[in-house]
Amino acid sequence: MVIKRVAPADDETGKWETQLRKGGLGLAVLATLWPGRLYGLEMLRRLEADAGLSVPEGTIYPLLSRLKAEGLVTSEWVESDAGHPRKYYALTELGRRRVRDMAAGWRAFANGLERLLAPMDGDNR
Amino acid sequence: MSREQGQAHLDTYLAQVNRHLHGLSEAEARETLAELRSHVLDRTDGHLSPAAVEAAITALGSPRDVARMNVTERVASVVETDRSALSVLRATGRLAGLSLFGFFAFLVSLTGYAVAAGFLLAAVVKPFAPERAGLWRIVDPNGGYDYSIGVVSTARPAQELLGWWMIPVGLAVGAGLAYLTWRFGLYSIRRMARGVRRQAPG
Repeated sequence: MVIKRVAPADDETGKWETQLRKGGLGLAVLATLWPGRLYGLEMLRRLEADAGLSVPEGTIYPLLSRLKAEGLVTSEWVESDAGHPRKYYALTELGRRRVRDMAAGWRAFANGLERLLAPMDGDNR
Repeated sequence: MSREQGQAHLDTYLAQVNRHLHGLSEAEARETLAELRSHVLDRTDGHLSPAAVEAAITALGSPRDVARMNVTERVASVVETDRSALSVLRATGRLAGLSLFGFFAFLVSLTGYAVAAGFLLAAVVKPFAPERAGLWRIVDPNGGYDYSIGVVSTARPAQELLGWWMIPVGLAVGAGLAYLTWRFGLYSIRRMARGVRRQAPG
């Protein structure tokens, strides 16, 4: 899976950033469903708009099917005004607990790293 | 006319995806195709011009890649919830048609379980039919020997190699081989799942 890079970087840094974003993708996808149910394309657009994550479109449905098998999301077909049915995904109770735990872990990690990186601010060595 | 061409283009794409979905049940394949159709209709805002459809299906990926990702993830997620030997063997069977490695993994799993079953069967049957169950060296009329494990019935001269040791050896080797085969199947499925996640288009 290739995730768009935010900053120009050399090859190794770029690979690291891609891995970092891939690692966060599961959390990001689950987080898009926190406010309420969405269908696949809505999720992709929200990931792009809110998190700058450009996820290859063909990869979102296999990922959602895995999350569904893990009991983290449910899905249902709903008739839409667009004239065709859409498959909506929503968090289950387990999914809600999982995304809350993942978010707490992510924040703790990010805050710790932030403290570690703080001495670099304004230091141009 | 343009809309009809776009619709035909989409139908062709979905038919091509469907051709590679043979690892899924009919219901799973139908669901996958319906979701892809819905995605393309949403992405084109219902304007099914050939150019819009082409852009949407290009963004999804080639039919083969899209099918492989869907089949692998679905099968792998089943195995993560049910890791029984039968479930893992069935999963390797479902993935066998997707790649050379998938076929190899299925073949190795099948062979591993068959040999393990031979050892276990010979160990279990040995107390009841000691003259028929065991590890056999059978004389080949063309010269040399054939080896066979399990319960045999052959007119050719044969020598049983393990005697009563067949029981502990058969149980230990059979169980060990079955366990290793199960681990290998699980490893193969996870490796294939990691592979499609890495190689996904984008």
